This record gives sequence, C-alpha cells and structure tokens, in this order.
Amino acid sequence: MKRSLHPLTMWIWALLLITAVVLTDRAWVALGAIGVATVLVKVRSDGSPWGRSYWIALRIGAVILVIRAVVGVLIGVPIPGTTLFTFPIIDLPSWMPGIRLGGAVTLERLSSSLHEGLIIATVIALFGAATSLTSPHKVLRTLPFFIYEIGITLVIATSLFPQLAQSARRIRLAQQLRGHEKVSWRGLALPLLEESLSRSLQLAASMDSRGFGVSRKRSRYRPEKWQISDSAVVAFTLLVSSALVLA
Amino acid sequence: MNRTPAAFSFRGLALPALVATSAISALGFVWPFLISTPQARPQWLFALAVPSALLLLFASVSNDKLDTKSIALLAVLAAVIAALRPMGTGAVGIEPMWFVLILAARVFGPSFGFLLGALSMVLSAFLTGGLGPWVAYQAFAAGWIGLGIGLIPRNVRGRSELALLALYGVVAAAFFGIAMDLQFWPWTLGVDTQLSYQAGAPISENVDRFISYHFLSAMAWDLPRAIFTASLIAITGKPILHTLRRAHTRAAFFTPIEFVKAQASEREKEERAAQ
Amino acid sequence: MIKFSNVSLIYPHSTKTIIEDLTFSIQEGEMVLVMGETGSGKSSLLRLINGLVPHHTGGILAGDISVDGISTREVKPGSLAHIVGIVGQNPLNGFVADIVEEELAFGMEALNFPHDVMRKRVEEVLDLLGLNAVRHRSIATLSGGEQQRVAIGAALVMHPKVLVLDEPTSALDPIAAEEVLSLLHRLVHDLSVTVVIAEHRLERVIQFVDRIIYIEGNGETAIGPAEEVLRTAQLVPPIIRLARALNLSEVGTSVREVRRLTDDIRAQTFETTEKIAVSSDVVIEVDELTISYGNHRALKGISTKIGAGEIVAVMGRNGAGKSSLLQAIVGSQLATKGSVWVHQKDPALLKGAERRRSIGYVPQEPSDLLYAQSVRAECAQADRDNEIAEGSTFAFLSRLVPHISEETHPNDLSEGQRLALVLSIVLSGNPELLVLDEPTRGLDYQAKNLFALALKEYASTFNRPVLLATHDVELVAELAHRVLFLAEGDIVADGSTLDVLLSSPAFAPQVAKVMSPKPWLTVSDVVQALEQQP
Repeated sequence: MKRSLHPLTMWIWALLLITAVVLTDRAWVALGAIGVATVLVKVRSDGSPWGRSYWIALRIGAVILVIRAVVGVLIGVPIPGTTLFTFPIIDLPSWMPGIRLGGAVTLERLSSSLHEGLIIATVIALFGAATSLTSPHKVLRTLPFFIYEIGITLVIATSLFPQLAQSARRIRLAQQLRGHEKVSWRGLALPLLEESLSRSLQLAASMDSRGFGVSRKRSRYRPEKWQISDSAVVAFTLLVSSALVLA
Repeated sequence: MNRTPAAFSFRGLALPALVATSAISALGFVWPFLISTPQARPQWLFALAVPSALLLLFASVSNDKLDTKSIALLAVLAAVIAALRPMGTGAVGIEPMWFVLILAARVFGPSFGFLLGALSMVLSAFLTGGLGPWVAYQAFAAGWIGLGIGLIPRNVRGRSELALLALYGVVAAAFFGIAMDLQFWPWTLGVDTQLSYQAGAPISENVDRFISYHFLSAMAWDLPRAIFTASLIAITGKPILHTLRRAHTRAAFFTPIEFVKAQASEREKEERAAQ
Repeated sequence: MIKFSNVSLIYPHSTKTIIEDLTFSIQEGEMVLVMGETGSGKSSLLRLINGLVPHHTGGILAGDISVDGISTREVKPGSLAHIVGIVGQNPLNGFVADIVEEELAFGMEALNFPHDVMRKRVEEVLDLLGLNAVRHRSIATLSGGEQQRVAIGAALVMHPKVLVLDEPTSALDPIAAEEVLSLLHRLVHDLSVTVVIAEHRLERVIQFVDRIIYIEGNGETAIGPAEEVLRTAQLVPPIIRLARALNLSEVGTSVREVRRLTDDIRAQTFETTEKIAVSSDVVIEVDELTISYGNHRALKGISTKIGAGEIVAVMGRNGAGKSSLLQAIVGSQLATKGSVWVHQKDPALLKGAERRRSIGYVPQEPSDLLYAQSVRAECAQADRDNEIAEGSTFAFLSRLVPHISEETHPNDLSEGQRLALVLSIVLSGNPELLVLDEPTRGLDYQAKNLFALALKEYASTFNRPVLLATHDVELVAELAHRVLFLAEGDIVADGSTLDVLLSSPAFAPQVAKVMSPKPWLTVSDVVQALEQQP
C-alpha cells in the first residue's frame, strides 16, 4: 500500500511538518511530530543501511537537547522565577570574558533551554526520518537533469558500499590465512584500495562504451509517477500543518 | 594532437560558480560576526541559502564537465571515505576520513578534491543522521579542505611531501573544527547564554565569545582530530599515495591520442617492388 | 563489417608495440575467436573495435579501423554504442544500476531513446536471454551465469551489429558456459550478429567459431579458419593435442568430428592399467558437517576423508557449497553441526604462524594476499614471516616463472605470474595442506601446465594433500586423483577422477567424450595406452 510512494512525498511531508513545528514553537507539536515519525519509521523499516538515519538523528537531537539544557543552566542569562537549586559560583579566568558559572537555577531557565532544544532536536529528527523513509536510489533517480552527473556519481557510490564490505571481508580472511592474525592496516587497506580503484576504472570504460555522456539529453525508463496516494499524503499533511500554525 | 579528458577541474562557468557559492556559504558560517541588526532568525535564512548554493554548484559542475573516469573515481573514493567516517565509533575527534581526502586531493588535484570532500559528506549523511541543511555546510567545509591542497606545490615529493601534507592535516583539522562550531554556535547555545552571539554587539565581543565557546570543543575534538589525521598521513601516506598515483596513471587522464599514417608492411613493399 | 588495415598500436608511455601491422576483415555474421597468451594484446584488440582504444585509454594508432563503414578515428566510443556492444572481463564491475531492468535500460537512457522504444527493447532482451524471472532483482544477488547474461543483455539492448566479449566463460561452471556459448551461437545464426570473442579456455568455444585470430608472442598474427590456425598454434585445447598426438590427417574442432576420425583406435582393445593407489594416512576428516547461514543450509551433513598425497578436486555448480566446504576446512567458517579435523586439530582454533604452517590457502582473488609495492618486497616478507633464508621465496618463484622482474609491482603482473607469486608465498611456509579456490581463472594453457606441475610436485614430494575447488574440467583430468562433487549442499559423488568424470556427461573432459567408452581422461592417457599396445 505505502510501498510505491513517490520518493519526494516523504520529503515534502517532513518539510511541511518542520515548518509547522518551527512556526508554532510549541513543545506538544514537536513531541507529536516525533511520535508520528517514529511510528512511520518503525512500520516501514526494511533493513536498508539508511534506515538507521532516523535513530542516529534522534540521538544527535537528544545530545543537542542535553547540551542546551546544561549550557543554559550553567552559563545562561538567568531568568527570574522559581529557584530549583543553586550552583556554587565559579569565576573563570579573566581571558574568558567575564563568564560566571553557577548561580541560581530557575525552573524557567531550565524549561526555556529544554524547550528550544526540543524544537531543534525535532527538526533534526524529522530530516532523519525523511532520509530513512526514502531510498536514496529513488531520490537520486528523480533528480532533475541539471545535476545528472553528480546524481550518477552518488548512485554508483551507494551501490559500492556492499561491494566494499564484501571485499573487505574477503581480504581479511586471506590475510589471516597468510598468518597475520591481526590484519595490519596495510594488509587490509592497500589491497582494498587497489581493487576498488581498479574496478572503478573498469566501470568508467564500460560507461564510455555504452554511450554515457554522448548525448546532452537523457530519457527515463521508468519515470516515477506521482500518484493519488502521494497527493493524499501531501494534502493531509498540509491541512494539519496549516491548522496548527493558524490556530 | 588530441588527448583523453583530463581529471575534473573547475573550468568555464563552474569556476565563478565555485567562487560565488563559496562566498554565500562562507557567509553562512560567519554571519554572527557580521550581521549586527537584531533580526528574527538569520540562521533559518542561511539554512535555506547554503543548501541551495550547494545545489547550484553541483548543477554548474554537471554539464558535461565530469568525464566518466572522474565520476567513477569520485564515486569509489567518496564511498571509501563515507564508509570510514562512522568508524571513529563516535570517539571524540577520531575521524579516519580526512587523511584519505587529503591524500586523494593531492594526487587527483584540488578541484577533484573539492568535489570529493563535498560528495563524501553528502554520501555519509545517508549513513549517519540523515540529510538536512547542516550537510551543505559540512560539504562546503570538506570541499574547501580538498581545494586547499592546491596551496602545496605540485612537484614536492618524498618526505617533504608527507611532512607538508601532515601539516596540512593539522590545519585542516583545526579549520573543520572551527567551521563546525561556527555552524552550530547559534543552534547549540541559543541567544541567551553568556557565550551566545549577541546581535548588535561589536565584532570583537562576538569573536571573544566565540573563542571561549570554541576553546572547550577544540580541546575535545580538534586536538585529537589533528593528531590523528597528521599521524595517519605520516604513517600511511607513502603506500597510499603510491597506490593512488598508480590508479591515476592507469586512468590515463590527459593522455595523447595520436593517429598516424600506416607504414606499408614489408610484404606489401616487396610485392610492389616485384611488380 | 569490421575492417582493420595496417593497424599498429603503441601506448604513449611504453616502448612495447602491442600490435604490429594487423590487417583483416570480418564479415557480417561471423564468429571470430581471438586467442593468444596473457598479455599478448587480446584485450587491446577487442577495445580497438569500439574505439575505447585510443579514445579512452590514449595511444598512438597507425592504420585504419572501420566498423560498419564508420572509422573509429572520428567518433568517440559512446557514438558506436548502437553498433558495437562490448562485454568486459568482470561484468560485475561494469554494472551501473542495482536492479536488472534498470541496468538494461541504462545505455538507452544515456542516448535519449524514446520511452516506448526502451520498454519494447527491454522486454525483448529479457525474453531472449531468459531473464524475465529475475528482472526486479538486485544484480549482486544473481549467480555468475545470470550476471553474465545481464551484461550481454545490456549490450544487446542497443541492437548492436557487433558483439565483443572478453573472456565471457572464465568464471562460469561448464553448464553455464555452455548456455552462454549457445546463446552467442544463436545470435550469430538467427540474428546475423557479428561476434568477436577472446578466450583462454578454448575447449568449448572452438566448435562454434568460423575463424581465429591468433596473436603469437612475437607480435605476429595468424588469421584463418579454425582448423588451419589450430593445426600449427602453440596453445591448443586437448582435442587438438589429441589429434596431433595421434597423427590424424585432419584436426577437428568438435567432439563429433574427432570421434569420426578415431573410430579405428577405439575399435582396438587395450589392457586396463592399474592406477597407483595413493597413501591413505588421513589428513582431513569431515564428519557430518552442516553449515547454515541463517535459513539457508549451505552444507547438509556431509562426510569425507582426505589422505596424504591426494590431490582432490571439489566441483559443482556455483552455490553448491564448495566455498563453504573449503572455508570450513581452512578454519574461517564455523560448523553449525558436525566437525572438521585437520591433522586431528580443529582448524578454526589455529592462529598466526601455526596456521600458516598447517594450512596454505590460495584465495580466488590472489591479489587479496598481496600488499607490498614490489615482487621483491613480497618475497622478502614471506621469507621473514616463515623465518627462512632470504631470497628463497624468490628463488622458488623464478623456477615457476623464469623471467620475472623483481621490481614489478605485484598488480602489474600477468594473471599467471601473480598466481605463481602467491603460490610461492604460500608454499614458502611449507604448509601441511594446500587449499586453492578457483586458481586457474584467466590462465592460458602454458601457465596452467606450469601450475599443475608445481602442485603435483608438492603433493608427491612432501606427501601432502591438495584440495582445490574448480570448474576447470581439463585441469581436474590432468591433476586430480579424486573428485568430490557437490550439489545443493550434498556430496553427490566421491571417487577417483576417472570414475566421477566419466560418469557425468556435462563434466567430462573432451578427450573422454571423444574416446568414450574407453576410460581415458587426458591426451597422455591415450598416448600411454597406445604405447603399451603389444
């Protein structure tokens, strides 16, 4: 059902949600967006390497959240209000211009930092979700012609990853059997590099033979079709985002 | 006499495009020092502008300027770099990607190095944390590191070459650290901490604040990155440069293609003489 | 269709003339074989046809080459893509896309074909090559034969008039190789495609070809009908050597032809000679070995014993479990059930120097082992690792390959030289067991003979077992005492080479097919039997 979505659909979804989160600037909107994204990513996960992007992005977002909170508490401009606890005041050397660590930590200060951190973490997570939900192969194939060569380079590179992994395993085995139990970096890196470079040159010859670069215009074998389901997703997200922003 | 296509270099329209887009993205890094009117959120504006600049640059490069050998080599080297990047396993500053980028840029040229840096960043974004506006910043920063290799004279070889490259590695590590901190400064700190940039404040004050902010991360990230990169270049440089140069030779960039008239074979000459 | 006039070729930074004053023309619908030693310029010749040389590689070209009337001087290789389709040596390295269908469409997309034409042609080619079942699959998951067919399909989709293939059957098992060659035969005879093919393993190919271009080592080229060239050529398949050894009036290129010429020989009766039994100290013991990868069972409880001094060939289609068996014996793959013992030890527990002394392993890609910058450095490393006298590894290597230069980079060596280097390195450790995975891919007959001799010497001098996984039936016939035949994880046959090879029509060597029902596998078997005749 959701399998044949156009690759740009989820990106549009993500961008619309990001706009909504930033413009409404409310914690519950952000948390809701993260919730939706998590559900979607879990449902559509298919074991591909970029599927991990979302989880990594969540972690990065969490780290930024924590940094914001800690930094805000330690060196933030104090916001008066309910004091939670007090840090001892530490004066830093004079070449760090008048920075004062510590002081009273107020609820408002803490929640303000957490709030900002949450918004940023949500934005990062949503970008990660969009990456996880679409295959880079598909996205790269819908790229317009004006960046065709770069797109092809990226497509070739992504298909090289599994080949590299396989070659690395093979070379490690051979080196270990040569008696080098802990395979030295030389034993792994040099054959791997030689082989990969040699293969890429063979690829270049093959591409030249098949007419790459001869014609300026290129056609598409299976153009990605924009379908009703795509419009449905976009329309729905647009509706929700607008409602949130205008409310 | 004709030659096979040369390795990629910024020529024609691509060169001004490089300069212009680099200027825009450079602005994207240093605007906290330059923009002094308290705007609402200039960081959002640049979050849009820098990726667009990158796209524009890619477009200017794509029109028939990339030959198949450059594409294939870029693809494989970018894949290697992107695969190496997560191998630091998050240990602070241990980033195995830079030494490959620097060595490859040395062999294939600074323009190639720029594209390699940029593409590796874009590619590795697929594997870590996803694609977002920050990727464009990283792409430019890595690209400039690849481009900067051009500062090292071409005909230096042997130990001096390795020493210069290792030194460049240190500089590049520091540069990347500053660039990343600049990029993240508004985001990680917000506007209301003692180390945040102050819109409207004089440049020197903001610079001071930034330096304080940067100091800690420099200790944590830049120092290990610099040491790690320089050591890797010093230790692995010779064989890897050798391997890359062999590939460069085999690729037959800019090699003469000559057509000459055939010499009649001995047999034909005899036949003609006999007639 | 293809015309070469006084063509000579030199690459810009070398002094060696690759091709000297070559003139020939190939008609439409001909199938031509290009043969010669490794490094003799076969690949260059093939690449001259579609212009890759010199437009892609650089070079100084004298003379003129025209394909279908178009001279390759004036056009880039891509412009000839609709006339000449070229399939390189490692098709996997030439693939741009991930999915079969997309790969087929790539060339047409690049040349801006209209959409409906692309759809039609892709369907045609999928049907022609029998690839419909795998059209949506990722190419990396296909078998070698299927990948080869996808590569041919990607070239055919342009409807070329000429198809050029560089060693298409080297990585394939005999059955897949037959399929590819029959396909090419069909293309030539049904669609009048001109096919130019370079091969080392001539056995199967020579019966299909019309003419042969033979690039001799000294730069001379001989061109002519198959029988003529093969009569006097140096590197020839067993079927030709048989005809020469028997002093037949004609030289036949197919089993059928030579059978007709040898009726009288087969009519005589011969004494059956006893094969010398080989020592039976058991070195390798495989007991109910099962290996599973997830849900897939690669080996299903197999058992066998291999004794000292035995040369055992492991054969079977790709995916039958050969690699799994080898890796279990070598100790890199743990058994899911059952066990493997090498000299009463578990090979998986061996480490470092002990491992090197117990098991010598020559991988499928010999260059996996090499990481030094020169032959000398590699040999020196082997000397150091095994604590033997400096220079001994290189001395051994020089015996195998007499004129090898010390300073050459290992990856600049020819296939045969590289294999010899790796063999020297592995044997310098004096291992108690030698395991080889597909060693003879890409080797010409001469290199193969040297290699076989080295293995025989090792097995008999030191009374050690040799285990090799291979598709090369002729090699097995020359070399192996025993054959283990695997299919789908089971051992289907385990017996003397004579018994196993004679009982399987697809895997029988040429001499056996010609001389059937006589129990002879190689030319020397036949000659010996004749000499012993009273």
